[in-house]
Amino acid sequence: MPPSNLMKTSLSSDFRRKRTRHDRSSMTEPLIELNDVALRFVSYHDKQYSIKRAVLNLLLQREDPRPVSEFWALRGVNLRIGMGDRVGILGHNGAGKSTLLRTMARIYPPTSGTLSVRGIVAPLIEMGAGFNPELSGRDNIFLNGALLGFSRKEMAERLEGIWKFTELEEFADMPLKYYSSGMYVRLAFAIATEVEPEILLIDESLGVGDASFVDKAKARLKRVMEKSNAVVIVSHDMESLRELCTRGIWMDHGRVVDDGPIDRIIDEYIERVKHPA
Amino acid sequence: MAELRSVWPVIQNMVSQELRVRYQRSILGFVWSLLNPILMMITMTVVFSRVLGRGEPAYAIYLFSGLVPWLFLSGSLTESAYCIIQNEGLIRKIYIPKLVFPVSRVLFNLVNFLLTLGALFLLLIPLGAKLSLAMLFLPVSIVLFGVFVLGLSIGLAVLNTFYRDCGHLVGVFLQAWYFMTPILYSTRDLETIPLFVKLNPAYPFIAQFQAIIRYGVLPSGSMILGSLILALACLGVGYAAFKSHEDKLVFRL
Repeated sequence: MPPSNLMKTSLSSDFRRKRTRHDRSSMTEPLIELNDVALRFVSYHDKQYSIKRAVLNLLLQREDPRPVSEFWALRGVNLRIGMGDRVGILGHNGAGKSTLLRTMARIYPPTSGTLSVRGIVAPLIEMGAGFNPELSGRDNIFLNGALLGFSRKEMAERLEGIWKFTELEEFADMPLKYYSSGMYVRLAFAIATEVEPEILLIDESLGVGDASFVDKAKARLKRVMEKSNAVVIVSHDMESLRELCTRGIWMDHGRVVDDGPIDRIIDEYIERVKHPA
Repeated sequence: MAELRSVWPVIQNMVSQELRVRYQRSILGFVWSLLNPILMMITMTVVFSRVLGRGEPAYAIYLFSGLVPWLFLSGSLTESAYCIIQNEGLIRKIYIPKLVFPVSRVLFNLVNFLLTLGALFLLLIPLGAKLSLAMLFLPVSIVLFGVFVLGLSIGLAVLNTFYRDCGHLVGVFLQAWYFMTPILYSTRDLETIPLFVKLNPAYPFIAQFQAIIRYGVLPSGSMILGSLILALACLGVGYAAFKSHEDKLVFRL
């Protein structure tokens, strides 16, 4: 399916799922494409700027004194991520890794440049993937499934697989707010992988949970990867990145510094950290 | 609109779960949804007849026919004002068309509204009201009113996310609006219709329900046309305001 229109964020499949996986022409097109993407955060002195102040400013004829500082979290990012890509994003804290992931997940719309995403994106950001803590585990599976574009029926078919991986079936009717953070992560991870999304975005959340879960998660992740979907992982855990990824993207100050085979990128990154230029 | 249709399962999910959360963990469960308004209406009938001396059942019917739709409006607006802010956790973790939130708030309140209307009909007979053919027009009035409320709610949802003190004003504003709308009193008791009633955008909607339920007559054509124009204008403005700011919402949380 060709990109139909050139909006800032163009989507050839709409929010609900239209499977393009078996579409031959789609095999060569990238799943995620960023062209000269920039993202600006504007931090307002206090972000809760109010009607009271707006009215006062108007009445007193004064300039809005709100000190606004701008911050470019991403600048000039060009990326193409295709079928089967296993991408690890690395960089120091505040380099824009998580922001890049959120942009790919369409949570942050780019300030300039274009972003196009094809297929279902399952984001795992800050452990959790769009849950309602008041609802039970089972209800959250359906809610999360609906957010990813899966009907109740389609999710019902996947319930068993999710319970099997998480071993949480006995807590299915318990509201999510009583889950431990480990259980929370397990559930989020299980849903995101069980639906076999075209694009899986993971933000450090694999580090949470105990060792046996991490191993299990890695094994499951490898299986998902074999289905030639794209996986993008943000992590500071170089060993995991080496193990899971084939391609590395090095971010610094909101720019892509380097993009290449994971081993080379990691080696250069470690070298730079040890001997700052 | 195509986008809205595509996220319909999400909305459905949110509304049905919200309903379950509200009623499920109580022994009486679903019965609450009917019992609650019935108890409220009985209390008010008693209070108004014993204390204020406006005891005639006709007044009770008049009061409820305006109050029940008003509660739908005030409930929707109060909840929509905070719906984006409350769902920060969701919005910052997964892509979701933000329109889902005010729409599901309004739908949730609409379901409650319909249940309360049902309860009102159960009370109509004991109160001595007679059913009339005009009641067949009620679905049209409900749709018109629903569109009006949806437009306001969408607009308010985006406004309150940008101007956080808006939420405080909503309560006060609704209170004032309530008294400016003929719900407790009737325009038939007034010698002249005050300007604040004539210009009151809620009046043509509320008056429709009163005409149908209390007086058993069809609303006038001008009232229906007026409310149609008002509802569509409201939805248009609310939708445009929401869409033009939707992209910026996530940065304001």
